[in-house]
Amino acid sequence: MKAKTGRLKLTNLTKEFGNGSDRVIAVNNLNLTIEPGEFVTLLGPSGCGKTTALRMVAGFENPTKGSVQLDGVDLGSLSPDKRPMGMVFQSYALFPHMSVYENISYGLKVQKMSKTKIREAVGELLDSMSLEHLANRAPNQISGGQQQRVALARAMVVRPKVLLFDEPLSNLDAKLRAQMRIEIRSIQRKMGITSIFVTHDQDEAMSLSDRIVVMRNAVVEQVGTPDEIYRKPNSVFVADFIGRSNFIKVESVKAGKVGTAKIVVVGKELEVAAHEKAIASSEPVLLLRPESVQVYAAKKASSTGVGQGKVKNVIFYGPHVEYTLTTNQGEITAVVSDPTFEEIVHIGEMAEFTFSPERAWLLPSDAEHNQEIH
Amino acid sequence: MASNRKNAKFDIFTKIALIFVIAIIILLVLLPLANIFKFAMDPGGRVIFTDLPKSLVDQEIVKNTLKLGLTVGTLGTLLGFFLAYTQTRIEFKGKRILHVINLIPIISPPFALATAVIVLFGRSGLITRDLLGLRPTLYGYPGLVIVLTLSFFPVAYMNLLGMMKSLDPALDEAGSILGANRWKIFKSITVPLLIPGIAGSFLLLFIESIADLANPLIIGGGYTVLASRAYISINGDYNIPGAAGYSLLLLIPALLVFLIQRFWSQRNSVISVTGKPTGRINPIKSGPIKYLLLTITWFVSILIAVVYLTVIMGSFASIIGVNNALTLEHFRYVLSGFGGDSVKTTVILALIATPIAGMVGMLIAWLVIRRVKQGSQILDFLGMLGIAVPGTVIGIGYAITYNDAVRIAGYTIIPQLSGGGAILGGAIVIVMVYVIRSSPAGQRSGIASLQQIDPSIDEASASLGASGFRTFRLVTLPLIRGAFLTGLMYAFAHAMTTLSPIIFLVTADTPIMTQKILAEADQGRYGNSFAFCVILIVIVLTVMGLINLAVRGRKTTSYKPLAMVQ
Repeated sequence: MKAKTGRLKLTNLTKEFGNGSDRVIAVNNLNLTIEPGEFVTLLGPSGCGKTTALRMVAGFENPTKGSVQLDGVDLGSLSPDKRPMGMVFQSYALFPHMSVYENISYGLKVQKMSKTKIREAVGELLDSMSLEHLANRAPNQISGGQQQRVALARAMVVRPKVLLFDEPLSNLDAKLRAQMRIEIRSIQRKMGITSIFVTHDQDEAMSLSDRIVVMRNAVVEQVGTPDEIYRKPNSVFVADFIGRSNFIKVESVKAGKVGTAKIVVVGKELEVAAHEKAIASSEPVLLLRPESVQVYAAKKASSTGVGQGKVKNVIFYGPHVEYTLTTNQGEITAVVSDPTFEEIVHIGEMAEFTFSPERAWLLPSDAEHNQEIH
Repeated sequence: MASNRKNAKFDIFTKIALIFVIAIIILLVLLPLANIFKFAMDPGGRVIFTDLPKSLVDQEIVKNTLKLGLTVGTLGTLLGFFLAYTQTRIEFKGKRILHVINLIPIISPPFALATAVIVLFGRSGLITRDLLGLRPTLYGYPGLVIVLTLSFFPVAYMNLLGMMKSLDPALDEAGSILGANRWKIFKSITVPLLIPGIAGSFLLLFIESIADLANPLIIGGGYTVLASRAYISINGDYNIPGAAGYSLLLLIPALLVFLIQRFWSQRNSVISVTGKPTGRINPIKSGPIKYLLLTITWFVSILIAVVYLTVIMGSFASIIGVNNALTLEHFRYVLSGFGGDSVKTTVILALIATPIAGMVGMLIAWLVIRRVKQGSQILDFLGMLGIAVPGTVIGIGYAITYNDAVRIAGYTIIPQLSGGGAILGGAIVIVMVYVIRSSPAGQRSGIASLQQIDPSIDEASASLGASGFRTFRLVTLPLIRGAFLTGLMYAFAHAMTTLSPIIFLVTADTPIMTQKILAEADQGRYGNSFAFCVILIVIVLTVMGLINLAVRGRKTTSYKPLAMVQ
């Protein structure tokens, strides 16, 4: 393997646009260290600042404040062409007047590599990405997925230390998108290139990343591995943005063992895993993922359930059934896997719901969380 | 590192390009304009402003100018609108031919039209007197309106045609599925979406017609406008401050309208040119509307065709309408001696100016759209000054500025460039005029084309390590090749047909065709004038064709896998 280069360090990275009353903070004090070869996703709703952050790393935007360091060297206001980075654009940005081959060889030509070496390097890549037969086509003569692969090949052929992806899959259909995810991840692993991937699609972030950076309103909400983000979100926002969530009101909270809390929900006492700030929070909420909630017909056994509700809606997907229950705690969504024909509860019937406490997560309320940031 | 720069740091190429462009703008527009101001503030120039409230003659001239601008602006825009609407919404035979005929006035010297109209419709006109037995007086307001409308409507036509073509037919379809009939769709969807184009065309035609000098000289008669008054100040009264004063008086409405036009077109760009138009235009199939539109279209196109046929026939007839015997006498006259020199000189100077104008236009477009953030609007505006400032004003400004060496603190910065005794016989100022009058066309088409190109294409090149210059050369320029080509063709056509600034700058050493055409027409030697026009149009068409061939004939290199190379 290659030497471990490509450690990227963002310190207090900030970007403001406009002046006076028009001033908008696009990115606010972003701090992040990305290890060599790591794949990090910036995830958030549109307008959260993720693309601006990526463009500052690339050098297309000058930070208002803060720095970008690569392997300990401050990149300062180095222009994009001087940074050892490759980028894959949302629109692919293939040069429409050049063939696929010319597009991919462009970066090497700029480096003044000899023609034979270019042919070798590009040929190898074309081969490994099954693009060889398209080499002489123009970008508008190939499909979206193929364009995407050419854009990736063009960014990678120069062997950048960092690869930047700006929502590159958003123009593809769902099936191709899933396929490209796997392809991107396997090539990135093979080449060991540090990567930042911007997306608003949580599936993409979950399936690709070593770590996910969830952003909201210019600020980082949480940094963590996909399972951390999903199972132990920092805030209601993160829980809500990643995956689907039921938030249940908690009647009382006491500290439990380390990392847990003793709570009362629906009149029942439980011990659940808890965010460190949840116990002190005045209005903590309990996060229950739909797949953690069990549902069965009310008549069978009433003592084991946490609560009861009326079935408002049932959607049968085949592998699983999705219920919406109207309960005293509000609407609760449950996804039940592999139910038998008899187990399915129907609209209008009363149902029992339950969950195992180790699958629940206690969160502080969002208002308090935000106050602590500012 | 707590900087808050507005413009990202410029690379060296951007800096050089910016300095180059600004230097061009200063030398070719701002300095001559500054001198116009300076002379207009002289007592001899100031008096025109101070006396305006009492001088009925000058008031009449200002009124004439504005009246002409308003009429031509309105009629030309209407005509352009009808013809463009017919082109896009009616299926009929001969569509392409009519389209080409409509564009002829753009590439021909304007007075070709004026002269031919006199020959056809004047007091002794072939059609008016010989065919209809009428003896109308064309000289003056009516003649000017006819000639200027026919000369300038193609601008409105092209403008609106482009907009109508980019209107998504799905909008029409959406309207009709919601129950609107054709008239309702026209009123509530088509026209509102085209309002920016209509207003923009009107204002452009207004500027063009108040700035025109050639036609008021040939067909204006007693109807004096500001441009012709300024001309008389120089060539009749020998009063330079006076000419500067009238120039300033003309410059004010021209620049004002230009600014309004820009403001308007930026505020109202509601047309979405993104995405591909879907659906198909549903053509108007029957009804009086169709026949009305077709009648107008055919009438105008036939009129233009007849006018230009007159030009061609007139160049081969001894004295058209009087003695129609075929002769090559006019061509012999025009191509020998002084006439021949003027053809050669004009073509050479226009050929020198064309690539410079094309490059300047593209550079400004690129700087405005891609590089300069803060102040890009100002740069765009300055680049357009060459066309926004009336030619007469430019010409007088140049004459004042470059008839002597330009000195700063006693040091000669630029030697005398125009007038008798200038270096290279005053050829340099002619090229300068051609460049500054022609580059705005390239700038506009460059800007339009760059706006269509995803900025991330430039960024992709930068992220692959290409410097600003390489990106411009390898990516930007090839992508806007079409616009560059259009820019070059317009630049050449514009240079060849321009008269109003040139008339103040020609010397015995550098005779220019347009000025010769005017002189011949002035003497009543229409045959010679027509021969010049025919030659000029042939040259313009030939060079346009050659540019087309030269810029098109490029191919991408092809790739063969290694195995196939050996």
